[in-house]
Amino acid sequence: MTDTTQSEMTDNDQEKTIYDELPDAPPKKTLKLTWTGKLGVVVVAFWVIMAVIGPWVAPYDQAEILDMDSYLPPGAEIDGGGTHWLGSDKNERDILSRIMWGARMTVGISFIATLLAYMLGVTAGIAAAVKKGWTDMILSRINDAILSLPTIMLGLLIVVALGSSIPILIFTAAVIYASSVYRIARAYGQEIMVMDYVESAQARGETIWWIIFREVLPNAAMPLATDFGLRLVFVVLFISSLSFLGLGIQPPNADWGSMVRGNLEAMQFAEGFGAWAPIWPALAIASFTIAINLIVDDISAKSGGDLAKKMI
Amino acid sequence: MQRMVFQRILIGIVTLWVVSVLVFLMTNALPGDVAQIVLGQSATPESLAAYRAERGLDQPLLFQYFGWLGDMLTGNLGTSKAGGATISSLIAGRLGNTMFLAALVAVISVPLSVALGLLAAMYPGTWIDRALTFGTLALISVPDFFIATFAVLFLAVNLGWLPAIANVAPENTFWEMARGIAMPLIVLVIVVAAQMIRMTRAGILNVMNSPYIEMAILKGVRRKRIILRHAFFNTIGPIVNVIALNLAYLVSGVVIVETIFSYPGLAKLMIDGVQTRDLPLVQACAMIFCGTYVVLIILADVAAILANPRLRNPK
Amino acid sequence: MTEIKNKLPTVANLSATDRETIETGLRRGANRREVMSWLIAAGASIAAAGSIVTSAGEALAATPKKGGRIKFASDLHGPSDTLDPGLNTSTIDYTRGRSFYNSLCQINDDLSTRPELAEEFSANADNSEWTFKIRKDVKFHDGSPLTADDVIYSMSRHYGEKSTSTAKTLVADVKEWKKVDSHTVKAIMQGPNADLPVILGTPQFKIIKDGTTEFQTANGTGPFTLKEFSPGVRSIGVRNKHYWREGANVDEIEITAITDKVARTSALLSGDIDLMQALDPKAIKKVEGTSGVGVWSVASGAYFGICAMTHTAPGNNPDFVKALQYIQRRKKIIKSVLKGQGTVGNDNPINVAYGADHCADMVVKEHDLDKAKFHLKKSGVTVAELNVAEVAPGITDTCLLAQREAKKIGLDLQIKKVPNDGYWGAVWMKTPLNVVSWNMRPSANVMLNLAFAPDAPWNDTLWKNERFGKMLVEVRGVTDAAKRAEMYCEMQKMISEGTDEFPGSGMIIPAHRNYVDGKSDKVEGISRMPLGSLGGYEWPEFCWRTDA
Repeated sequence: MTDTTQSEMTDNDQEKTIYDELPDAPPKKTLKLTWTGKLGVVVVAFWVIMAVIGPWVAPYDQAEILDMDSYLPPGAEIDGGGTHWLGSDKNERDILSRIMWGARMTVGISFIATLLAYMLGVTAGIAAAVKKGWTDMILSRINDAILSLPTIMLGLLIVVALGSSIPILIFTAAVIYASSVYRIARAYGQEIMVMDYVESAQARGETIWWIIFREVLPNAAMPLATDFGLRLVFVVLFISSLSFLGLGIQPPNADWGSMVRGNLEAMQFAEGFGAWAPIWPALAIASFTIAINLIVDDISAKSGGDLAKKMI
Repeated sequence: MQRMVFQRILIGIVTLWVVSVLVFLMTNALPGDVAQIVLGQSATPESLAAYRAERGLDQPLLFQYFGWLGDMLTGNLGTSKAGGATISSLIAGRLGNTMFLAALVAVISVPLSVALGLLAAMYPGTWIDRALTFGTLALISVPDFFIATFAVLFLAVNLGWLPAIANVAPENTFWEMARGIAMPLIVLVIVVAAQMIRMTRAGILNVMNSPYIEMAILKGVRRKRIILRHAFFNTIGPIVNVIALNLAYLVSGVVIVETIFSYPGLAKLMIDGVQTRDLPLVQACAMIFCGTYVVLIILADVAAILANPRLRNPK
Repeated sequence: MTEIKNKLPTVANLSATDRETIETGLRRGANRREVMSWLIAAGASIAAAGSIVTSAGEALAATPKKGGRIKFASDLHGPSDTLDPGLNTSTIDYTRGRSFYNSLCQINDDLSTRPELAEEFSANADNSEWTFKIRKDVKFHDGSPLTADDVIYSMSRHYGEKSTSTAKTLVADVKEWKKVDSHTVKAIMQGPNADLPVILGTPQFKIIKDGTTEFQTANGTGPFTLKEFSPGVRSIGVRNKHYWREGANVDEIEITAITDKVARTSALLSGDIDLMQALDPKAIKKVEGTSGVGVWSVASGAYFGICAMTHTAPGNNPDFVKALQYIQRRKKIIKSVLKGQGTVGNDNPINVAYGADHCADMVVKEHDLDKAKFHLKKSGVTVAELNVAEVAPGITDTCLLAQREAKKIGLDLQIKKVPNDGYWGAVWMKTPLNVVSWNMRPSANVMLNLAFAPDAPWNDTLWKNERFGKMLVEVRGVTDAAKRAEMYCEMQKMISEGTDEFPGSGMIIPAHRNYVDGKSDKVEGISRMPLGSLGGYEWPEFCWRTDA
């Protein structure tokens, strides 16, 4: 194992001794980003900024029908000056502009919904693991019921019954994904509750909240963080699967998932690079979600990763 | 242990009941009923009334629910309110298809992803780990309908290697079946493996932080050995949980893959059921999905307990 | 399309539209020289034109081959699939209906009728009494012979309180179905109606066995017998060996659906299916450029449009409706949304496809923002919400186009996308602004009677014009062609334009769409009847495989 990044990281950590992380207390964490993590931060920052300023810097309005043709290839000229830098979509709109506008929808909705799902899921999951008994029983049954039904069907039921508006989409995604978070949070909570340091804390007579905040949460944080990254991806994909069923974001608003869905046909029959119409928004989704997960990886690599490195 | 499994089965039955109530309430909250959907644009108030009377939809809701529950308990799934076929005939073939595909995907994806997850965890921060991270993230971040459509266009239309639609009719030969199921199989393995790889890696790295692993490291035990002998077993709980959820997804959630490949499975059937407000059909599917989920979760919990002695006798 | 350079073109190399022009010409009796002169005028060389005309003639004259199997994919199926003809509402149901059952009368490509299970039919002098003589040599799939009782039973299912028929309004003016003898029935009408035979040719009026209440086996008289029926999966029909006329050419048909349009087109391109319903017009170029597959496009009177309900705001304001009509970019919709596979609409449901009943002397409303602005200002409306479901391909895109134009005249037209399921029950005719799609009907009278008569249950905009309703009944008894045309013209003007006193119907109909479907080049013998997909669902009995 003579990978350069590896040795570099090991060097950085050399001043620490292994005794820093001995069993008494949860290990202290200072976040240092690797180059991939830094890349992640740059990309996420880019999209977050785009979410704020996108509508002002985009060359065209997201709903502007430019009357040229659908699925023009990147670089096609627009009458009256201007260029389709990423080509045009099925309704003769500018794809680049729609991706810029769509950042707000996709980044915004996925962040808010995932955070909400985490607040719900982690609270309930940890509570169930710590309190056990009836609390666990009731929370787990409700949770099982939600979790055992397919997400897309739950989405369909809620969105069709309540109508497809942005707050409802966020709420739907949050409730659905809270249930998966709950299971993971509870599983880790249970694992940790039987760990030595928690047992010793209980023996010392610490209150349950002390145990949750000082022992359980910090230790469950890492796997939950990994899951956060995945969950965020799933929220983005969930909203786009709703667009597969004809629900989801209301037109003409742009969101990346429904841009992929709406222009999917281009891969079948558009000519030349016009066929890339669904690929650009897919790349936007991929860049955003991969970047999030790269950051998450660095956060989670902190504790376990440090130790692993020492073993080489 | 046996008591625990028995308890969990009882709990599972409660869950099934909760689901049936939930599904009943939610389906009834949807705009329009089965008569309006079936008669569609051609509905008139009289024909709607006649349709409802013919299919027993004019009875009070509670009556309908308990009627269904009673039939269900005696093993009668009822008939579709939309088409009039029996639910069991609608489900029979599709259940087999769904389980067949899910089992195949599981057999390939579970060992593959646990192995790759372990590999990544053994060498965190190396190029292997990075490549796996990028690869899995790239695959899960693309919508499945994109992967599926791309696969059809490339493998079926351009190259002509595989059929564009998943032919699994009973009269087909083994070879035709294999060719027909190849594409949904590939797409689903890609979709589920990525998540399992990531969770396995994260779970193991998390356990590497525990005191007893530190002790083992201090004692000079080799890294591979630590991961395979100690860390892995202690991560089994969370990992089997993720696997169980993914398997449940394979049974109930693969609507898009079923739609694009025209693979007659249960997930699409349930969506069709919801879209036609065909309550007995939706309920039957919900019961199957929930039952599968309950069984998988019990199995996951049993595995977790077997793997972690400390969970066996929680204090 | 490079192969064209190497050999002389045949009719198969032409675009669907060109092919249709030539074949229609030949069918109508244009001679070889005439067709060649069109082609040469259009820029073809004499040799090429000759080659094309020869191949077109061959395609028309070729004798069907027997045998083989055809796989057809529709766009929609599910648990609501039914073999009960009275409940049929979807293309896949109609296609199954044509495979397993027969009607009394059959509709020709030009919307005239020919006898089917009725070996002859005739009316009394004023078309108020129709007599159908039923064939004596017809057997149901279970072996029992067809009699007048079966016909009476089949018809009785469209009447009465307990009827769930989706077509009962079409035959509501038949007072009584009377059995004359074992093989003769009589329909006694409330008033004259020359359209009865053509109505009986539409999908719901299939003849079933007397007393049938269970439809899982499809015991009809049709060209195929049912081998398998799995709702939402597939149906298989096997050639009926005891069919009463020549019968189907292929041995077996499989009827299925692929709901995703891209996947459906892929399956056609890859050769996994032979026929597909609802080809996206945007994919036409790709399909035509792929060897082995082609497009089947039939111009029709089918339309989609925006309904502004006339009983409530904003649609009760005729100026608002006029503003919406003037912002329509009708030609652009044909060009961009329908890719040429349609004809411009003039807010009038009756287009040229209905022949003489179409009113030709109305001027099509051009896209005119000044007029639109004028009417919008007069109406005082600034915001409106339009409920849209993709009930016909292209309708959402059409509404998005309208939204952009509306913005230019200062109207905030908010589009609310709603799911297709539940649309007809919860949104259509219930919200102030919504969308609708209609298939073509066998006659102008039937169409107007269904959706515009003041008492029609499906009057899209709840438009109540009593004079219109009276004329609609009256015109059925008019035999003088000029008088009839004049009346129809006036009625269409009432719908499209209205007068100050009696406003128009509130319908905005920017386009009539063709039925655009896809087929393998190996399948021939598909009709061009314009009432539905793939030549009005008539193909199962008549199509054949060139490679059989």
